[in-house]
Amino acid sequence: MEVKEAKSKIDPKFKFEVARVAGGESIRYCFQCGKCEATCPIRRFEDSYRPAQIIRATLLGLKDMVLDSDMLWLCATCYSCTERCPQGVRFTDIIRAIRNLATEKGKVHPFFKSQSGAIAKFGRIFEDESFLNEMRRELGLPSISVTASRSEIAQILRNTKIETLVKSEEEK
Amino acid sequence: MAEETRVGVYVCHCGQNIAGTVDCKAVSKYAKTLPKVVIARDHKYICSDQGQERIKKDIKKLNLNRVVVAACSPRMHELTFRNVLEETGLNPYLFEMVNIREQCSWVHIGQNEKATEKAKELVRMAVARSQLLAPLEIKEVNALRSVLVIGGGVGGIQAALDLAEQGFKVFLVEKEPTIGGRMAQLDKTFPTMDCSICILAPKMVEAAKHSNITLLTNSEVQDVSGIVGTFHIKVLKKPRFVDEKKCVGCGVCATKCPVKRPNEFDMGLGTRKAIYVPFPQSVPLVYNIEKEHCLYFTQGVCRVCEKFCEANALNFDQKEEAIELDVGAIIVAVGFDPYDPSPLKEYGYGVYKNVITSLEFERLINASGPTEGKLKRLSDGQEPHRIAFIQCVGSRDEKTGHTYCSNICCMAAIKQAVLIKEKHPECEIYIFYDDIRAFGKGFEEFYRRARESWINFVKGIPSETVEDPETKNLTIRAVDLILGKMIELEADLVILSIGLVPPKGLEDLTRILSIPRGPEGFLLEAHPKLRPVDAPTMGVFLAGACQGPKDIPASVAQAKAAASSAAALLSKGKIRVESSVAFVNEDYCIGCRICESLCEYDAIEIKESSTGKPAALVSEVACTGCGVCASACPTKALTLRHFTDQQLLAQVRAAFFEKEGTCVDRPHEAVAESLNEKIPQARSMKDSGED
Repeated sequence: MEVKEAKSKIDPKFKFEVARVAGGESIRYCFQCGKCEATCPIRRFEDSYRPAQIIRATLLGLKDMVLDSDMLWLCATCYSCTERCPQGVRFTDIIRAIRNLATEKGKVHPFFKSQSGAIAKFGRIFEDESFLNEMRRELGLPSISVTASRSEIAQILRNTKIETLVKSEEEK
Repeated sequence: MAEETRVGVYVCHCGQNIAGTVDCKAVSKYAKTLPKVVIARDHKYICSDQGQERIKKDIKKLNLNRVVVAACSPRMHELTFRNVLEETGLNPYLFEMVNIREQCSWVHIGQNEKATEKAKELVRMAVARSQLLAPLEIKEVNALRSVLVIGGGVGGIQAALDLAEQGFKVFLVEKEPTIGGRMAQLDKTFPTMDCSICILAPKMVEAAKHSNITLLTNSEVQDVSGIVGTFHIKVLKKPRFVDEKKCVGCGVCATKCPVKRPNEFDMGLGTRKAIYVPFPQSVPLVYNIEKEHCLYFTQGVCRVCEKFCEANALNFDQKEEAIELDVGAIIVAVGFDPYDPSPLKEYGYGVYKNVITSLEFERLINASGPTEGKLKRLSDGQEPHRIAFIQCVGSRDEKTGHTYCSNICCMAAIKQAVLIKEKHPECEIYIFYDDIRAFGKGFEEFYRRARESWINFVKGIPSETVEDPETKNLTIRAVDLILGKMIELEADLVILSIGLVPPKGLEDLTRILSIPRGPEGFLLEAHPKLRPVDAPTMGVFLAGACQGPKDIPASVAQAKAAASSAAALLSKGKIRVESSVAFVNEDYCIGCRICESLCEYDAIEIKESSTGKPAALVSEVACTGCGVCASACPTKALTLRHFTDQQLLAQVRAAFFEKEGTCVDRPHEAVAESLNEKIPQARSMKDSGED
């Protein structure tokens, strides 16, 4: 017995996986009104970004479609949709839950991988600190440096296994 | 008419409804110039107390004997102003109403000048007609304090109880062997999840025990004659072959009976015996023999039931009983039939065993149903693990002719899905819908509860179901419209959420009662907003799904409204009836029977007249004043009072001949002739502009 989307199999249990992750359980209340999409600032510039579709596909069980989608990574976590949802669906939390599931399976968007790689390497997402300290100097603030804490950050990434999850192909 | 005709004209602004388009002051000024008009005024709201007082004062002060009000539809306020006339001592039929709202300002928005001209013309026509209006005798008939309720479902039971409590004698007629109707078949009710029979059974028992209610089960109304206040009813009571007074309902007879029959109450899914009660809580709890399948009646043998009946209640000689009743009013509460989805072949109902209807499902999940409440597939008795509901089956469907929304199926499917989830949380449920209509109290919250239980709502009606011949599973083809993706779902049980259709035999009943049906086949109310529980025939009221698809709370509410309307009508003992009815001039009548055959209300009979020849006789109380007879009569023997040819032709003349605002009382033939002569020269409607 199976449910299919065209030729691919549907996983009816996928929605439970999402609901188990903290913040994911509110997904069930969605009744597809579309207000989240109308609210979303990303949706305003990117037609292919469809929060309501991500929810629908999750509830139906189109697991691969959801986890493989680039769209998953477009959310800016501004919480506007969550603020305005009439049914109390916490989409921002849901998309975080889905990203976590994708990450667990090693499905991370290359852009996020390179960002995480930068954090591992430099302790932040950019390498050069000089322009930051220039700004701080203008504001009369003392210079800072994360160089000292780099090893600690690397430790965190190692211990949380983020390091292995986000390692880009060439590094492996 | 020796008395001088003195007309008062009142033009209503109706706030901006009329005044926004029609220049009411100009219309009133124009009305003053019309012949016989003594006073013309415009008023912001003439229907207000203040407006009514204005008319009363004018009638007294200026000796008015005709009143014309140009305002809304006479269906809204004709009675209001007739009462104004009556209160000042004038006959209420000396009032004429002009509709310059629905038929003028509302349909000519933005064409103010033309609308004002049209309003003037309409007023001129009314003034001309008003001069020929004649006082009519006010008629009253006696009202019996008794009511016939047809249909013993929850609506009929409630109406009967409400009337009985107010002291009216009620005859509750039910064609089945028990009262209870469709509600008795349901397992739970939405959105509260009350056990349906648990909340219905006490009402059934109360109705049966009430001293003012006579329960007539196994009975059908055969004929209705008479009119409001005194309807004569003929009821045919079919024999049960069991004495109602002796049977104690022990059921020993049924355990001994050798004949098994499909149980209609379980939608044919389970079996019962040839002697049976439809369900354990039947009221009256009296056994009933299905004559067509009883061995004694078909083969002359058996009578086992008789041998085992300790109460000695069997009576194989019982005959049909013709019962005659006189009642003051009638409440029709005959309910609905479930739609039979067999014609929608794409879903395979009746071909695939695991495709069932929502009503069949109610019996499958009910503890007293054929599976004792255990959820089983019909093909192999296995418990289903993935169930699909298909919504709008036989509703909102031009192809099947059931164009309307059946009102209950969204909530019924959600209820059934929640019921399954309560018993089988692991069961996957998909509801394929077009719209979810959760409009009632507590419905939206119930819909949310369903989503909370992980019921999957798929927007998109499936195109077909295909059975796997081995597993008997069904593949459903649908598109999730939100994702824009084709889905193939293999379910092991498919439930079709079938619509509600007018019940079998409703057409015969409408003929017997002379009441109309709407285009979708349900009974038609007199006015969709202002008289929603009245049939157009006076004294006949409607309750429940026979008037249109309804859920239980709405049916009960309408039943209570119908009971209350019937009580209000009958409580004074006298009923005023419309005086604008057909009248026969026997000298002209040739007894051709055209009128008799055309009358929808059985108000005309050809009988021997006082002079000995056959002539039409109008029952003035049965006549609704529709005018069909008068317009069809070849010899003009029939006249509709208040709408005589003279009155109408005066109005028509005034429409075309502005100068002839006044009308002399002359033979109508002459007026018709003059019309024939002059119309070609008169300006036609076409020339007057777009409207």
